[in-house]
Amino acid sequence: MTIRTARPDRVQHFPPRMHCLKKLEAIVVEMQDLKNGVKGSEQKLNVTTIPHVIAGKDIIAWIANKMKTPTEEAHVFCTMLVAYGYIYPLQNHKKLVMCNDTSLYRFQTPYFWPTQKWVAEDSDYAIYLAKRNIRKKGMLEPYEQAHYNHLHKWLNHKWDFIVMQATEQYKAGKERKKPDRVVFDCQERAYWILNRPPRRTHSAIDCSPEHLFDPNTDEKISFDQYRRMNIFYQQAIMRSKVKSSVSLGALVKYITTYKTHDPFLAPCLPSNPWQTDNDSYWNLNTRRVEIPTKMRVERWSFSLFELLTDLRGRDDFKVFLKKEFSGENLAFWEAAEVLKWGTASSMPSKAETIFKTFLAPGAPRWINIDGRTMGLTVKGLDHPHRYVLEAAQTHVFLLMKKDTFFRYLKSPVYKDMQKKALNPEAHNFSPAQLEQNAQNRSLGIHPIILWKQEEEENAKAAAASAPIDVKAMMSKIDRK
Amino acid sequence: MGKEECKTMLDALNKVTACYRHLVIALGSTSDSQNLREELQRTRKKAQELAVANRTKLTSVLKDKSISKEDRAEYERLWVLFSSSMELLEVDMKRSLEIGQDFPIKVPTRHFIQTGMTGSTTTVAARAMSVQNMKYEADSNIDTADLRELRSEITQVSQMMEEMEMKVQVAPWAVEAKQEAGAELKSNMSVGNSSVGVISICEEEPKEEDGGGGSRDAGIATICAVVGFFIILFVAAVLGYLVINMS
Repeated sequence: MTIRTARPDRVQHFPPRMHCLKKLEAIVVEMQDLKNGVKGSEQKLNVTTIPHVIAGKDIIAWIANKMKTPTEEAHVFCTMLVAYGYIYPLQNHKKLVMCNDTSLYRFQTPYFWPTQKWVAEDSDYAIYLAKRNIRKKGMLEPYEQAHYNHLHKWLNHKWDFIVMQATEQYKAGKERKKPDRVVFDCQERAYWILNRPPRRTHSAIDCSPEHLFDPNTDEKISFDQYRRMNIFYQQAIMRSKVKSSVSLGALVKYITTYKTHDPFLAPCLPSNPWQTDNDSYWNLNTRRVEIPTKMRVERWSFSLFELLTDLRGRDDFKVFLKKEFSGENLAFWEAAEVLKWGTASSMPSKAETIFKTFLAPGAPRWINIDGRTMGLTVKGLDHPHRYVLEAAQTHVFLLMKKDTFFRYLKSPVYKDMQKKALNPEAHNFSPAQLEQNAQNRSLGIHPIILWKQEEEENAKAAAASAPIDVKAMMSKIDRK
Repeated sequence: MGKEECKTMLDALNKVTACYRHLVIALGSTSDSQNLREELQRTRKKAQELAVANRTKLTSVLKDKSISKEDRAEYERLWVLFSSSMELLEVDMKRSLEIGQDFPIKVPTRHFIQTGMTGSTTTVAARAMSVQNMKYEADSNIDTADLRELRSEITQVSQMMEEMEMKVQVAPWAVEAKQEAGAELKSNMSVGNSSVGVISICEEEPKEEDGGGGSRDAGIATICAVVGFFIILFVAAVLGYLVINMS
C-alpha cells in the first residue's frame, strides 16, 4: 500500500494544474475526423503494416489551416502537442519535437493522455521497467537501469507485486495480434519518456510541487473580502502613475544594458552549469576569486548599485578608496547595512559605535552630510531602530554615486582590473562528454568552509578598523 | 493449505487486473467497440468477485491471533500484494469511467483516436475470464447503462478499501519482498521466437544493432536446431545399427 493512494487522501495532495489540457483534447479529437481531419497513412515494418501514421508537415499544415496562423506558430503549437504527449514521434523518440518534414508521428491513446487528476505513479513506472527488462532481456538503457535500481530500493515492499504484475501484463500483451503489440509498446514507451524523461529530453509535464488545496474548486469570496478588494482598487486608482513612455524607456535602457549578461538570452561563458553540469562558471565567479571574469568587471560599470552588491566589486572599490583616503563614506554605508540587516538585540550597541565613529563632531571617520540630515539622524539615534540611518545612508550613497564612482571607473585600479580580467573559452561538449559530466558532478564548497572564511575576514576587518590605541602605539615606538 | 489457496486466488486477481489494464488502454482508440465495453464490464465483475473472496480469506486469517510469526509475515506479504492489486484496479476503474464518458459509442459521428491499434481485444478478455472464446450478448446501450453500474462499483471498491485499511493492521513498509532485482528475467517466460520477432520490429530507431541482434539470435537458433536434428539422426542410426547387429 502506498502512502499516496487514489482514494481521497487524508493529507489532500493535488497535482499542479495544466490549464490547456481540455482545449488540446478538443483539438486532437477534431483531428481524428475522417473527412476534415489529418490524413493518415500506413507504416510498413518488416512483415506488418500499421495504419494511422501521420507526417509532421501534414499536421502542421492542418493546424495552420484550422487556426489561421502562420506556419511558424503552427509549428510551435504542434511541438507543444508532442511535448504534452498527445502525439508521439516514431523515429527519434527521445526528442519530443515536431519536425516540419516527412518524419512520422502517431496519436496517443486516451489512457496515456496527460491529465491533472492522475499522476504517473512510481509503482506503474516500476511495472513498466520490469516489463521492459523482460523484453530486452536485462539490457535496459543506463538511465532506465538507474531508475530501476532506485525503485527496487524504495518500493521494495511492493516488489513481489511489481514482478507478478509485470509478468502478467507481458503475458496478457502477447495475446494481442502483432501490429497491436508493436503499437502498444510504442505507446507505453512514449508515455514513460514523457513522464520520466531521460536527460536532455524536455516534456511539458508540470513537475512543480503539489498543492494543498484543490485548484479546480472555485473559492467563495466573502463580503468582507470584496469590501477590502474595493478599497484596494480605489486607492490604486488614486495613486500617481508613471507615464508609460517613461517606464518603457527605462525598460528598454535596462534591456540594452543587460542583454549580454542574461544567461537566457546570451550564452554564458564558459558554459551554463545547469545545462552542461560543468561548474567552472561558478568557480570563476566566487566571492573571493583573485581575478574576476570580464563580464563581471563590465557589470560593475553599469551602476554603483551593481558595484556594491557584488562583494568582489566592493572589495575593489575599497582598494581604490584607500588610495584616495576617502573610505569613510563606504564604511558608513556598510555599517548602516549591517545595522539594517542585523539582530535587534545588537542594535543599540551598533548604533553607539556608528555614532562615535562617523557622526559625532570630531569623530575619527567623520562623514560629510548636510546639517538637516545630520540633525535628524542624531535625534533618531536616541531611540535606535533598524532604519534610523536610512536618510544618511541614502545621502552617502548619492555622494558616492555622483562623485567617487565615476572617478573609480576612470582610475588605474579599475582599468588594471579590466585588463587582467579573464575571458574564458566557451566549452563545446559532445553528448558523451555531457553524460560524463552529469555523472561526475562535484559537491562544491561546503558552506561551513565559506562561513569560516567570512568569520576570519570579519575579524581581520574589525581588528584593522579598531580605533588605534595611541598609548599602545607610543609605548611600542618607545620600546623600539 | 490456506496459504496455497490464498496464493492461487491472488494469482487469479493479478491476472485479471493485468488484463483489465490492457482493456482500459484500448478504450477511446480505434480498437474500441461495443465488444470492448462488454469485455470491460465482465472482467470488472470477475475482478470484484475475486477481490471479495480474497478479502474475506485474508482478513479472517490476519485477524486470527494464533498463527505463528513466519506465517503472519507471509500473510502480511500476501496482504500487501492484494492491496496493491486493488489500488491498481481502482485507478483503472476510475479512468475507464472518465474515458468511457468522453468517448461514447452510440453517437452519429464517432471520434475515436486513430492510434494504430485496430485489432480486437477478445483474446485478452478471454484470458481474463479463463475461457476459450468470448460470447457477446450485451445490448446496444451498454456504454451508458454500464457507466452507471461502474460508478456504483467504484464507490463499493473505495468503501471496501477504506474498511480494509481500518480493520487490518498491517504495516506495508515492513514487508520484505521475496524477489530480488531482475527476478522477472528468471521467471519461466517463453522467451522464444515470438518475443525475438517483436524486438526486431519494435525498435523503430535508426539503430541497426537491435534488428541485427534479433536476426543474429534467430540465426543461432536455426543453426542449433539443425545441428540438434543431425545429432538425433546420428544417434538413431547408431542405435538401429546396434539393434540390427544384436539380432
